[in-house]
Amino acid sequence: MATSWPKKRRLIGSKIQRLDGPAKATGKAKYSYDINRKGMLHAVLLRSPYAHAKIKSLDTNDAEKMPGVKAIHPIKNVGDELFWAGEEILGLAADTEEHALDAVRAVKIEYEVLPHLVKEEDALKNDPQTVSPVGGKRTNVLAAKEATSEGFEKGMADAAMIVEGSYGVPTICHQCLEAHGLVAEWNADGELTVWASTQAVTATAAILAQHFRLPANKVKCITHYMGGGFGSKFGPDIQGIVAAELARKAQAPVKLMLDRASEITAGGSRPSAYGKVKIGATKDGKVTAYEVDCYGTPGVGLSDTVTFNALPYVYPFEYKRKHTRIRTNTQLQRAMRAPNHPQNCALTEFILDDLAAKLEMDPMQLRLKNLPQNDANAIQNAPHSLPALRHTIYTREIEIAAALSKWKEKWHPPGKSPGIVKHGIGMALHTWAGQAVPQRNECTVIIRADGSVTARTSTQDLGTGQRTVTALVTAEILGLEPEQIALEFGESPNGASSGSGGSTTIPSQAPATLRAATAARDELFAKIAPKLQAKAEDLVLERGKVVDRASGKSWDWKKACAALGEEKAQATGFWTAAESNKPENKDVSSSGVGGVQIAEVLVDTETGVVRCTQIVAVQDCGMVVNRLTCESQVAGGVIMGLNYALFEERIMDRATGRQVNPDMEFYKLGGIEDMPKILVHLHDMPERGVIGVGEPPVISTHAAIGNAIFNALGVRVPHTPFTPERVLAALAAKGGGQ
Amino acid sequence: MSDLPEYDHAEAGLSRRDFLRTSGAAATAAALAEAPLTHAEEAPAKIATKAIGPQPVQLTLDVNGAAMTTTIEPRVTLLDALRNYLDVTGCKRVCDRGTCGACTVMLDGKPVYSCTLLALEAEGKKIRTAESLIDGGKLDAVPAAFVKHDAQQCGFCTPGFVVAMRAAFDQNPNATPAEIEEALSGNICRCGTYQQMRDAIAALCKNQPGLGARRKEG
Repeated sequence: MATSWPKKRRLIGSKIQRLDGPAKATGKAKYSYDINRKGMLHAVLLRSPYAHAKIKSLDTNDAEKMPGVKAIHPIKNVGDELFWAGEEILGLAADTEEHALDAVRAVKIEYEVLPHLVKEEDALKNDPQTVSPVGGKRTNVLAAKEATSEGFEKGMADAAMIVEGSYGVPTICHQCLEAHGLVAEWNADGELTVWASTQAVTATAAILAQHFRLPANKVKCITHYMGGGFGSKFGPDIQGIVAAELARKAQAPVKLMLDRASEITAGGSRPSAYGKVKIGATKDGKVTAYEVDCYGTPGVGLSDTVTFNALPYVYPFEYKRKHTRIRTNTQLQRAMRAPNHPQNCALTEFILDDLAAKLEMDPMQLRLKNLPQNDANAIQNAPHSLPALRHTIYTREIEIAAALSKWKEKWHPPGKSPGIVKHGIGMALHTWAGQAVPQRNECTVIIRADGSVTARTSTQDLGTGQRTVTALVTAEILGLEPEQIALEFGESPNGASSGSGGSTTIPSQAPATLRAATAARDELFAKIAPKLQAKAEDLVLERGKVVDRASGKSWDWKKACAALGEEKAQATGFWTAAESNKPENKDVSSSGVGGVQIAEVLVDTETGVVRCTQIVAVQDCGMVVNRLTCESQVAGGVIMGLNYALFEERIMDRATGRQVNPDMEFYKLGGIEDMPKILVHLHDMPERGVIGVGEPPVISTHAAIGNAIFNALGVRVPHTPFTPERVLAALAAKGGGQ
Repeated sequence: MSDLPEYDHAEAGLSRRDFLRTSGAAATAAALAEAPLTHAEEAPAKIATKAIGPQPVQLTLDVNGAAMTTTIEPRVTLLDALRNYLDVTGCKRVCDRGTCGACTVMLDGKPVYSCTLLALEAEGKKIRTAESLIDGGKLDAVPAAFVKHDAQQCGFCTPGFVVAMRAAFDQNPNATPAEIEEALSGNICRCGTYQQMRDAIAALCKNQPGLGARRKEG
């Protein structure tokens, strides 16, 4: 049977306050970090102080005798090689955190220190071979990926104007405020419960079950509240396994949350990308070819640091692309909010403004000339997909953003702002998928005879507002208010769900909730119709009541539910990518969004200080479900993008191989006084169904700010973060300010 | 090291100087000895010396109007005493180094980073955490504005912001939005809720009478 959203929507698209808002704002909400179990031990990890070393000896005898020590769990052993400063060596649990910290310092360990590489650019000259072997080779610099489109050579040859530039973004850290970690507790029956700070409740339980060779139903993961993940918290991680091992050994619950330095050096990072870019265009600004040769570091890992097949980003230029991965002795990179898209965006959007300047064009006009066309095939086969709509969406979003930012009045040729403090305005585009995942996502809705309603799902709310969305959709279908829906949320036994990554939670979960609530309603009608002396098919729900369309009679919701007697009405709905792709379900959820951001800055040419004064963010996400939390997501993404632009950088020390800013003092994040005015405009397209929006708004902010600085100065500051030092250096290189 | 007044410490039941002396920290004592001594320093007899630590000591804290007793080592911070020993978890541990503000509590009405104070220093003071800003389901005006304007996402920094903002309005009920923003400059949010926080601040600054009334109740 076809699934569809109600035609008349009372709650969907409106602004609904977060249901967990009061609990969170008053500290009553219990995060994993806040769980204190009876007899709970505190665990810490011993980490490698060296970026590359071998363990020569390891002696825990003294540590074991330290006060309060209950268990030690080795992770690495004598002879093992350590590949980054922060790599985990052992875990230790004691009765208090103070005792655990004392005891871990009593572990005696000798290292053979080996050569390391922590700055990727150092490997370009000479490969130092400091990483773990892959296929027998320890090379830091992996073979480059290369690809060239058929029309590239001709495109470059046809160009009337060619512009070149070098641009880059450094590695940054996730800096989740709630550190990674969990509380692990075994019961007498050998069942494991964890309260984990994770964005993947069911996967965390499954990985732990696999590790301990337990049936899936013997491991439970609970995540009622989660203090930020941004792509870095998709499983129990090594600290999760170790905490559960320690808890088993000590036969007591164990809490293991990373300290701040560990959170930063081991809890996740977004990889760097630096590239030489070349672009060719006709005199009237039609880009004919784009070439990029870039590199970045995935840390000790192997993954790309750009989305290789999406370079150039957004625009369909003829291309020649090359990407080199440089493995360094730094933590493994992790997915971070729209992984690799911000890097692609920088490597594409910066040179467009440099080109526009050479062509003496308004960069907005240059972009409008070069937008991807709507795909004729997609219009036929998938009319709600992004390929079918992209030209229309971007054109409209640019129009809206131009009007909101007063682009026509404010834009001036680069460097033509008068005075010492110069004004600039710049823009950038982005895209993201945000569709339902292939895995099954479930939601169960239960209506009881007292009129109470429960919505139950295992999915997690990272702060996105998913909990409120589940209640909102259930209430919409049942004619109730969101606060009337009791939520059983974020517990792995509550049914199937997937990790919250790729902006996939709302397009996977909201349709499952829609189906569950609709089926529960139908079951309610079937069960109560005989008692109400009505036919089930004549019953409908209006706000707070059940109406018999045949007789015109109506019953208050509670009274109608009372007719359930000893029974309840319960149904589980599910959703998958395959369900989303069925033609009969085409309006429920889809994939692919655009997005346009325009930033304004003031740049002090004497001090180099950049102040961002305003950002306009125009974002589509199909059908807006909760306008309040959706706008918050967009504004939050913009702020994370602004931090990327102006403040954030992981700084590694070449001599010691350690991060010099593993804290919140020298790893900078903006405070409230650093914030610009943010204008969010949701480009609502309800006909497309639900699409996720968590990631896209973060992608293009740094590029828009970088282009605004270029507009202010007429000089490109090539690398983020745009610190005073970098601004002054760029000005000095071009002969100073005006 | 100068002997300037350290208001937070000096006003606490036990000053940091007393603590260091009584805890017999030799290295620190040596460092202190190099500092110029004041008259107070030269008259140790005036200070009631009480041997404290390094063994755990019993401690009673006044948390949100309730006397809470626990046994801790003297080195335990106020933040850790609240969270790990008293199960008062509204104050969060994030940076643990006095940078991010997630651990903010009120000490006799003043906002402090509870990660930079020893629990012993808070004895005899009135400690207020975010948990005190809801009473039988009735929200204080500050957290209520956070909820209404959606000034929180993951919410982990939020109690710290709420306490800092509540303290700022308590100190100056007629504060301007710029003054409130300044009072929040010691707090960091990672999800990026500042835009909505500004909406909350604007509404609270406009609505002073309601705020004042609730303040008295609190």
